[in-house]
Amino acid sequence: MSDDPFEAIKVTFFQECSELLGDLEANLLALETGQGDGETINAVFRAVHSVKGGAGAFGLEDLVRFAHVFETLMDELRSGRKECDDVTIKTLLRASDVLADHIAAAQGTKPPVDVARSAGLVAELEVLTHGQAKPAAPVAAAPVEDDFGFTPLTLDLADFGDPVELPSLELPSLDLPPLAAAPAAGWRIVFRPHPRLYASANDVSLLLRELARLGQTSVQLDDSGLPSLDALDAEDAHLIWTIDLSGDASEASVRDVFDFVEMDCDLSITALAPAASADLPGLPELPALAAAPVEPDFDIATLLAQATAAATDMTPAPAVAPAPAPIAPVTAPKPAAPVVAPAQAAAPAAPVGPAPVTIRVDLDRVDRLINVVGELVIQQAMLAQRVMESGLARSSDIALGLEDLELLTRDIQDSVMAIRAQPVKSVFQRMPRLVREVAEMTGKRVRLVTAGEDTEVDKTVVERLAEPITHMLRNAIDHGLESPEEREAAGKPAEGVVRLAALHRSGRIVIEIADDGKGINRSRVRGIAVDRGLIAEDAVLTDDEVDNLIFLPGFSTAETITDVSGRGVGMDVVRRSIQALGGRISISSVPGKGSTFTLSLPLTLAVLDGMVVAAAEQTLVAPLSAIVESLTPRVEDIHYVGGHDAVIRFREEFVPLVDVGRVMGFRDDATTLNGGVVMIVETEAGSRAALLVDAINGQRQVVIKSLETNYRHVDGVSAATILGDGSVALILDIDALVLAGRRKSNRPELKMAS
Amino acid sequence: MTKTVLTVDDSRTMRDMLMLALKDAGYRVVQAEDGIHGLEVLQAESPDIVITDINMPRMDGFGFIEGMRADPNHKATPVLVLTTESDAAKKQRARDAGATGWIVKPFDPAKLVDAVRRVAA
Repeated sequence: MSDDPFEAIKVTFFQECSELLGDLEANLLALETGQGDGETINAVFRAVHSVKGGAGAFGLEDLVRFAHVFETLMDELRSGRKECDDVTIKTLLRASDVLADHIAAAQGTKPPVDVARSAGLVAELEVLTHGQAKPAAPVAAAPVEDDFGFTPLTLDLADFGDPVELPSLELPSLDLPPLAAAPAAGWRIVFRPHPRLYASANDVSLLLRELARLGQTSVQLDDSGLPSLDALDAEDAHLIWTIDLSGDASEASVRDVFDFVEMDCDLSITALAPAASADLPGLPELPALAAAPVEPDFDIATLLAQATAAATDMTPAPAVAPAPAPIAPVTAPKPAAPVVAPAQAAAPAAPVGPAPVTIRVDLDRVDRLINVVGELVIQQAMLAQRVMESGLARSSDIALGLEDLELLTRDIQDSVMAIRAQPVKSVFQRMPRLVREVAEMTGKRVRLVTAGEDTEVDKTVVERLAEPITHMLRNAIDHGLESPEEREAAGKPAEGVVRLAALHRSGRIVIEIADDGKGINRSRVRGIAVDRGLIAEDAVLTDDEVDNLIFLPGFSTAETITDVSGRGVGMDVVRRSIQALGGRISISSVPGKGSTFTLSLPLTLAVLDGMVVAAAEQTLVAPLSAIVESLTPRVEDIHYVGGHDAVIRFREEFVPLVDVGRVMGFRDDATTLNGGVVMIVETEAGSRAALLVDAINGQRQVVIKSLETNYRHVDGVSAATILGDGSVALILDIDALVLAGRRKSNRPELKMAS
Repeated sequence: MTKTVLTVDDSRTMRDMLMLALKDAGYRVVQAEDGIHGLEVLQAESPDIVITDINMPRMDGFGFIEGMRADPNHKATPVLVLTTESDAAKKQRARDAGATGWIVKPFDPAKLVDAVRRVAA
């Protein structure tokens, strides 16, 4: 973070850009599938417009130029001058990709955008906008400087409401020397506001103040147009000012003062002769010019006295200021003023709900809060345990109050975790582009269908989902889907469908990536696995097991390493990154119908549902998600493979038995199987193992504390936690533990007590 | 006395930039994200000056200004429209709705403050 506020805003700008790009793409996709309407087109326009606006502020010229062309087409579309057809939407989608690249280039996260690619799209957009490409030059010149810029003043006298009532605006004819010869000594400004000048909240006194900044002014008010008070329309305009400005202000600077009101007044600016500023010889019939604020030369007191008689129903009496803004205070709105509820009047199509009220909070603060709440949970559990130990009755006020406290604590914890929760939308929104690119590269026709974008999951998890999803989508298109010809030959629609969905299932988030392609070619997968020595030639594998071979390290089914899914990353890497998040991945496939990858992840990385167990007098926590079931082993169930590798019979299957206390190094001698308990666990690879522990102490939600941050990595341990009694317990890393168990199980030491 | 400026813009970037420029110039700044939100804040804060964007979701700048002008309390409050639009028709619409003046985006902070001073007593 920079201290420079401007730089901080720039950071905000790029954050906002990425949100806008997400909206942009989502809206374009809605249009593509026919779900969009006028408001959708409007939203796209606004997104591009906002990008352009911010980019302009930071002088990001390339981005401004591209956004401008994009925006121009969107403007045509939203005004209905141009139809939003399929070809247009496809082009807009590609334009949004290039816009994203321009933004990334401006941010410095990507190299500058390929000039030809950008120019190509600019040309396409312009063809769509104008029916033909404009020459490049106007595009470059177009956007910023002419916007609402200065337009030459046109004094249109025909605009005067009722010429008969108007006092003459004719200027005294002056014998002026040519302007070039001698600079003007000042300016005579004759200024007659229209009613609308006041209606738009402009204030003549402020204009006069501005003029006074340019030089010495003398102001004269002509109130001859002012009707008698009983005929006075408070919202009409009746006054004319003549201002003589001396000094060397330029005409442009004088005009600039009237910039906002030039359309709402009659204005003439003429140069004063050099000598004129002194005694104004050429000016007929002008009374002495006062340098002081203008006094309207009518008697307000008299008028007000008349008013009490004449305007009885005019409430309240207009407070007429002595200063030159006599008409500004307004009594009541005209009946003609819009009385319709503003929301209906302005945005009939947009659904009007309460604005989502959000605040932006530094993530560190949230994390600190989460941490403290974690401590609170621990403290609460410790307190509860103390109370139980003190022998207080469960029905005692203290115990009951403590129960309420526990509920509240859990509520607080859930609420705090919800702060970090984010919809997976941010990741899903990046995928359509990827799909388009991969489809283009592979020559396949693909439609991406997404579902469950609003599914929420911890921010850290969201961020780390992008890469595995990207990879699996690439795979689905590159390896899963057939070419359009193959599909048609197989009696399928030429366009393949890839479905990306997110849902909550039993306290975890599940991401499914399904394609309707050819499915896994099992005989080929098997052949490759045998060739690479991953399985024995005569191994008996179920279809599922064959499918899951693709997750083994070094496995790649692509015949040629393609640009798309190649890059040396296999499904094993994907699986590892998922496992690092405490997740699992599996595949199911039906030949000819397609494959589905299912990814399941914990909703948060901050708490864990665990089983508290004891091994060699140490308290350990096993992740509940890994435990299949627990059982008390019988001696006859335990066997030794090759005389030393202990296995246990579990449902007609032998699984390796891991003595947790010994593998963890808590004790050297073999366990005497006496009252011990076995937990059957499933590793991330899907294989099973049996963990032998002394006792199971119950299920608990625990707050995860990193061991690496506070100590160092310990093999077989994924993290630590603090239990209700205040003791520190290690959280087991099941996979690492099982692996370590295999290495240690060379010695036949498991003695059985009868 | 410190004057309050209400800025109405759906772009966070733009709101931040306005905030920076106006605060530096000694104004108090209140913000809204679209026209409807703007009308709500208008009621709550009664600002001395309003700066609004045109293109916004839910209710655009035109609707906002019309809604504001329909309220006797804010009929005479100056409104500056933020715009990059080169379309004269749009400028005309803003004027028709009751805008006092405009600020061209991208704006120079000094020019912004200048425009605000020009319309604020």
